[in-house]
Amino acid sequence: MAKILVIADIKQGVLKSSTAELLSKAKTIGAETAVVAVGSNIESLTSDLANAGSDTQYIADDPSLELFSAGPYASCVVDAAKQFGANLIWFGFSESGKAVAPRVATQLDAACATEITDVELSGDQIEVIRPAIANKVMQRVKVNTDQLVAVVRAGAFEATEGITGTENVVKLSAPAPDLKAVIKELISDAIGEIDLVDADVVISVGRGVKDQAGVDLVKELANDLKAGFGSSRAMVDGGFMAHNKQVGQTGKIVAPSLYMAIGISGAIQHLAGMTGSKVILAVNKDTEAPIFNVADYGIVGDLFEVVPILREEIKKIKS
Amino acid sequence: MKILTTVKKVVDVELTMHVEDGAIVEDGLQYVINAWDESAVEASVQLKENNGAETTLVSIGGGDNTDMIRRCYAMGIENGIHIDDPALAKADASIFAKVLQKVYEKGDYDLVITGKQAQDTDSGQTGIILAEYLGVPCVSNVIAIEVMDDQHIKVSRVGDAGTEIVELELPAVVTVDVSINEPRLPQMRGIMMAKKKAIDVMDLAALGTSDDEVEGATPKSEIVEFMVSKTRKAGQKFEGDAAEITAKVVDLLANEAKVL
Ligand SMILES: Cc1cc2nc3c(=O)[nH]c(=O)nc-3n(C[C@H](O)[C@H](O)[C@H](O)COP(=O)(O)OP(=O)(O)OC[C@H]3O[C@@H](n4cnc5c(N)ncnc54)[C@H](O)[C@@H]3O)c2cc1C
Ligand SMILES: Nc1ncnc2c1ncn2[C@@H]1O[C@H](COP(=O)(O)O)[C@@H](O)[C@H]1O
Repeated sequence: MAKILVIADIKQGVLKSSTAELLSKAKTIGAETAVVAVGSNIESLTSDLANAGSDTQYIADDPSLELFSAGPYASCVVDAAKQFGANLIWFGFSESGKAVAPRVATQLDAACATEITDVELSGDQIEVIRPAIANKVMQRVKVNTDQLVAVVRAGAFEATEGITGTENVVKLSAPAPDLKAVIKELISDAIGEIDLVDADVVISVGRGVKDQAGVDLVKELANDLKAGFGSSRAMVDGGFMAHNKQVGQTGKIVAPSLYMAIGISGAIQHLAGMTGSKVILAVNKDTEAPIFNVADYGIVGDLFEVVPILREEIKKIKS
Repeated sequence: MKILTTVKKVVDVELTMHVEDGAIVEDGLQYVINAWDESAVEASVQLKENNGAETTLVSIGGGDNTDMIRRCYAMGIENGIHIDDPALAKADASIFAKVLQKVYEKGDYDLVITGKQAQDTDSGQTGIILAEYLGVPCVSNVIAIEVMDDQHIKVSRVGDAGTEIVELELPAVVTVDVSINEPRLPQMRGIMMAKKKAIDVMDLAALGTSDDEVEGATPKSEIVEFMVSKTRKAGQKFEGDAAEITAKVVDLLANEAKVL
């Protein structure tokens, strides 16, 4: 029976939905499951971790682990993987996961695959499916080792009702800090900000919103809907949006129920980050904009005119 | 400071791609420098200009890489190594990293700058694995590099909770995102000079290693099939009076798509 270790995705003290999604998938394919959680002051998450579908919880809880550092983080995961005897080690989609997975794989002498959307097990043979080349193609990748470390793409697996776990905590000792890569500062997101990758609705702005006033206009709509607020690269490069709000090939991959692209042309690199969304709405004044090729609903018009109406109409329908 | 920059020749993602019988149809494809590596080259050249450094690039595979490497010379890179060996046909990230390790060990470098990801693999592993093999510190997804002294650099990285500022002891590996800089366009003078510069082309034996040593025949993973990706279809597009069409679309979002 496969043994799957899932890395808990914790942000600002809260367990993110990817953890339950990955554990659900693991249980659905009949695997034995464990989770590893790394951080500071995370003891209180134990029951959440079990409820998400894990039967063993490896917990590395230490003040030295408060800020992300890839080296110590990888040591914790390797420690848990060895104790559990995991043959599959899954990270949810996150920047920390992308930084840590190749390290863990190398230390375990295992294969590593990022951005996977599916996994197929037959006997000891592991194969994964993943998009590549800015989503233009899919690859089937055969794993030649008996262990695989993978980063799972956002939205690939779904949390299923009725998945349960049991509380069985194994404490991990804190690893030595990485003295050669010392994190000095974290310029962090606002507390309580809705995370793009988790949000049920994501609204992104592009160059079409022009300036801060345009960003603020769309932000109001995002606030109304409690939506994650993202952007194209053009708005990040322009200094209007933070780097970790970028959606696309080199930014966040999102798969919400509803994605709104406001003033975004739909470059291939942007599409690579959002075409997994369930429903896409695009607002663009150019009827030929490529974003309309992937949008379920398209409004051709001036966003400065459309967005206020959109807000009003949505308010009406919600009340 | 000696900087090694890794550069891969990759397929141009802007072109249409066709898949037939599990493989990508070569016809009509074009190859370019990986965008992230172009940023790595620019970052290296800026460090050379601002802090003084010797810059070397290495590229593995890709057949004739002359044009790409000359372009990097024209941007300001001083030395170019091209490793080409049929044994690397099935190479995965860990094999490329093994070859890069051999290159590194011959050169006594202080800093390796790789792209965050190759646009043909979208994998983001090679630089990180290289650092593990070398036993040196590594920060990925870097958007700024600042030299502190001979032994230390300070980098900014885009992380999950915001921007992380990390001090690294050299030697080190960093993997850079495209937003670290705007790569310069080579100028005529640079292009002319680049034409005269040699490229050090080597196979694995010339590099002082072998297929066995880099485990070329046994990649940890291999692509067995390419498939067409799911494409979305264009849906309903509305033009006309803004108030009318917006109300209509909100109604559809709520009652047809049921996402509001
Ligand atoms: C290696 C690489 C990686 C990249 N990664 C990413 C990535 O991760 N994410 C990403 O987004 N991009 C990425 N890019 C950049 C990408 O190629 C595009 O340049 C970028 O997405 C364009 O952003 P945009 O759509 O906001 O701007 P533009 O392409 O300039 O589009 C602006 C749109 O706004 C519309 N518009 C203007 N005014 C109005 C108005 N008043 N009302 C309505 N519509 C209006 C215009 O019709 C136009 O369609 C990457 C590029 C490279 C080379
Ligand atoms: N064949 C190669 N030659 C040179 N550099 C490479 C090669 N493969 C990967 N790299 C470097 O590693 C980075 C990440 O590649 P990947 O792990 O495939 O996403 C790239 O941006 C390159 O800088």
